[in-house]
Formats: sequence, C-alpha cells, structure tokens
Amino acid sequence: MRRPSLVLRALVILYVGALLALPLGFVFQQALSKGWGQFWSALRDPAMDQAIWLTTKVLVLAVPLNVLFGVGVSLWIVRHPSKLSRALDVVIDVPLALSPIIVGLMLELAYAQTGWFGSSFAYLGLKIMFTYWAIVLASIFVSLPLVSRQVIPLLREVGEHQEQTAATLGAKPGRIFFTITLRSIMWATAYGVTLTLARVIGEYGAVLIVSGNIALLTQTLTLNIGANFESFNSYQGFVGSLLLGVISVLVLGVIGIARHRLERKRHDSFV
Amino acid sequence: MTVSYSGVTKSYRGRLVLDDISDVVNEGELTALLGPSGSGKSTLLKIIAGLTPLDSGRVSLAGKDVTNEPARNRHIGFCFQDYAPFRHLSLRENVAYGLKVQHVPRAKRREQVDELLHLVRLEEYADQYPHQLSGGQRQRMALARALAIKPDVLLLDEPFAALDAQVRSELRTWIRSLQKELGITTILVTHDQAEAMEISDRIVILNQGRIEQAGRPSFVYDHPATEFVASFLGPITTLAGISYRPHELELVPATDADSYEVREVVRLGFEVRVVLVDGDAATWVQLTHDQAKQLNPRAGQRFGVHVREKNATAKSAAAADQDAVK
Repeated sequence: MRRPSLVLRALVILYVGALLALPLGFVFQQALSKGWGQFWSALRDPAMDQAIWLTTKVLVLAVPLNVLFGVGVSLWIVRHPSKLSRALDVVIDVPLALSPIIVGLMLELAYAQTGWFGSSFAYLGLKIMFTYWAIVLASIFVSLPLVSRQVIPLLREVGEHQEQTAATLGAKPGRIFFTITLRSIMWATAYGVTLTLARVIGEYGAVLIVSGNIALLTQTLTLNIGANFESFNSYQGFVGSLLLGVISVLVLGVIGIARHRLERKRHDSFV
Repeated sequence: MTVSYSGVTKSYRGRLVLDDISDVVNEGELTALLGPSGSGKSTLLKIIAGLTPLDSGRVSLAGKDVTNEPARNRHIGFCFQDYAPFRHLSLRENVAYGLKVQHVPRAKRREQVDELLHLVRLEEYADQYPHQLSGGQRQRMALARALAIKPDVLLLDEPFAALDAQVRSELRTWIRSLQKELGITTILVTHDQAEAMEISDRIVILNQGRIEQAGRPSFVYDHPATEFVASFLGPITTLAGISYRPHELELVPATDADSYEVREVVRLGFEVRVVLVDGDAATWVQLTHDQAKQLNPRAGQRFGVHVREKNATAKSAAAADQDAVK
C-alpha cells in the first residue's frame, strides 16, 4: 500500500488540531492562566465541589443499574428470543435517537408533581423531579443501550455450546452464568461501563431540565461548568472544564484498554 | 447403560424435525445416527442429553424415565461438533470443570485430570489454552472433559466433521478403541456413511425426522429396507429392475441371449466403472483394476452381466419404493 502523501497527512493533522487539540489546549491554558494558587482555590469552590460530589453519587447508582439492566436484557434478547424481546431490542435504542432535551421533557411530564407517575409518588410523599433521583433517572435513560449494545453481539458470537456443555457436566444455571457466560462477556461489559461513565458524566441537556439546575443542590459538574460560563465566571468554568477533560482522557484510556482486550478476545475466537 | 426413547416428536418453527421416533441403544454399544443434514439427528442427540426440550415422547436411561430431568442430572457426556472449549480456561481447567462442579478435592482432582490427559494423549499441553491447540487436540480435550464425570453415556455430535481427512481417520480408529476399552454406551451423529459403517456396532438411519432402518452396518448395507437407505449407504446399480451393490454384478464375455453394449469406461482410482446399454435398458458395473485389465472393456464392445453374489439386495426398485412410501 502506498503511504499517504505529505499533503494528506498535513490535512489530517490540521483537521484534528483545529477541532480537538487547539480548543482543548486553549481550555487548559485558560484554566492555568492565573497560576497554581488561583487554580488550587478554584478547585475548592464549594459549588463545584458539591457538583463533583453529586456527579459521583449519580454514577454510583446509575452505572451499576445500567450494567444489571444491560446484561440482563442482552441475555433475554439473545438466549430467549420472543416477539417481546425482539421488540425490546429495537426500542432499547430509542434513547440514542432522541435529543436529550426531549428526554428531559418526557421525564418531566411523567414525573413532575402533576405528571402521571409523579402524582402517585407525590401522594406517597416522594418528590422525584428536581432532585437527585431525577438526575439518576435521566442518566440511566440516556445511557440505556450502551452496555447491551456491546454485550449482545458478543453473546451471539460465542453461542450456547459452552453453556450447554457446562450443564451436561453437572453445573447449575448460577454456576454456568458466573463461570462461563460472565467470563465471555466480561470485556464487552467493561467497555459498556466506560461508555456509560463517559455519557453520564458528560450529559447536559436531559439533566439540565430534570434537575432544576440549582447550585449547591442539584448541579452536576457539567451543569456547574455551564452555569459558570453563563454568569460570566469563565475562569471557574475553565477550571471545571479542565477537570472534566482530565476525567474524559482517563475514561478514554480505560475504553482503549478494554477495547484492545476485547478485540484480542475476538481474535482468539476460532469457532 | 441402556438408552431408550419412544415417541419422540419435536417441531421447530412449525417444521416437524422429529416425527414419533423410538429406539433402544444397548449397553456398551456404539450406535451411529446417520442421515443427511436436516434429518433431525443432532436434535435427537440434544433431546437425549436434555439440552433441547421435546414436544412429546419419553427418554429413559437404564429403564428410568428422565424426560423431565435437566441435563445436569442425566450424567451424560456430550461433545459438540465445534468442541465448545471453555475459551478462558486452560486445557487442564477445561477437563477439571466437571470435577470441580462435583466438589472433588483438589489433590484427587489433579490426579484424575492427569489420568484423563494421559488417556487422550495431551499431557504436554495441559497448561495451554484452547486457541493454542489444533482441531484434533481440541476434540480430544472435549472428550476428556466429557469423560471426567465418568458418564454413563457418551454423545458425540459430528465428532470428526471439522477435521481434515488424515486426522479424521486416525481419531476415528482411536475413539473406537477407546470406546470399546471403556465399554461406554455411545451415540454418535454423522452424515458420513463410510464413517458410520466403520465405527459403529449399529446404524440408525434417519431421514426427514423418521427412522428409515436400524441394524448392524453390514446387514443394513446388504439388506436396505428402503430405496433411501440403499442409495444413502452407498452406490446402487440396477439390472432388469432389481437393485444391486456394484460389487454384486460382474462382467462376463457376451453370450447370444443377454448382452449389453459398453457405452463408457470411467476410471475411479483403483476401480473402473463400466456403463452399459441395451436398447432402453442401462446399467453399470464396477470392476477392480485387475478385472478391467483382464477383460479390457472398450466403448462399443458387448458384454454379458452376471449377478455375482446370492445375497443380493434382491429387492426390486418398485418394491423398495413401496416401502419408502409407507
């Protein structure tokens, strides 16, 4: 194969540079422009610290729930195909196709004090909208298919023969799941988890609507950054952006490793 | 252990895969389920193992009804065509899986696994992973893994289909002697009639979800019950409306009465096929290399055709068709 010409390579570098490297570099430069002392105190801004803490709490609930749902639904769709599971296979992608703003509005309609479910919850004295719970709901919703979309193709490829062999060797379903099935889909699940992490950390539109965006109360890190820029507190916004950028790079690194492992697994497959 | 099933019926997506099948597999025998693809033979094997539910019918092991027992309680060793190695486990761990399930203590487990690896001649590969093994090695691994639980019955689904010819014939002989040595009741699924003839004590021929015939290989070969069995087990030729195996006919110098004209002489390696015609009637005869040299048949010459053996299939094609219909 011919090596790409110098012009082509320069174009690619320019393109990536203009789109990614320069703006990112600009954010870093702005965040560090007032020196380390200022940067340090900006990191300890109470509103931002609260936002980081809230984002973490959302992750702690949303990610495991998404893994449970994603793996469970994948097993159901692949191993017990029925009309219902096939329908779910299509519906599960809806959150990816919908604009997050619409997701937010849908959830608000359903869960507001006057909404369908919301009124029932309100009757029980529970408030969903504009609380932590609403943010968790929105986060789960927007990242719903991220785990199962990774797991389903792998489950299909691996097939049932290993599981059935384990059954003839006397293994009960639980043992088969943990020793055979889970081992086959481990890296696909890990990849799905990192995608979910990235999506939940970065989600803006849906969370903006359902959280109410109240500083020191229902502001996630992304919302906090947005709020800082809107209130002309751009330095604080840049510091938040830097933080988010670093987290993203870390998540990307994990995705890279997981994908590498996943592809090696696929490469190893010989059946 | 005797395996028996009766009235086994199974439909899949509206298609009848097994249609009221019954048979008994005797203790210690190797039975080959032989049939073309889509004849339902693999489905039947999975039903015996308890991996596929049946629509109706019963499966019994040593006289005990196990129709509603899950696979894990049947104590049947099963090998898939693709060997289904546990990819993330080493060869040793693969073989040890069933023993671990039974909570065999570590030391004893190791001892038994070593024994099995010796039995299948894979000791030196114990710590390799499945993707590092060849097809034949993976097949032996699957066999060792199935034998680890000391099963009462061994089921093999197309065990040699994925191997190349050389390895296939070696493994075939080896598995046969191992099966005899262990005396384990074995059912093997294959679509290869030569394989079934060579390896089995008994052949069950399946076609379109029904058993066409069951019996000793040589008997079934010589006395096919239906036209399908006759043609599936090997080539058949007809003489005056009667079906024969090619070796049952011989070519003799032409007499005045019945003689045929040679149309074509085809070399098939060691053997030679001679195609003959007489007016509308046509037949063919298979000669060994030596016979062909002696007679030296050429297109246009005339020869007589004799029935060499008395135990010919001796069944007119028309009668065989009748059997097939019912």
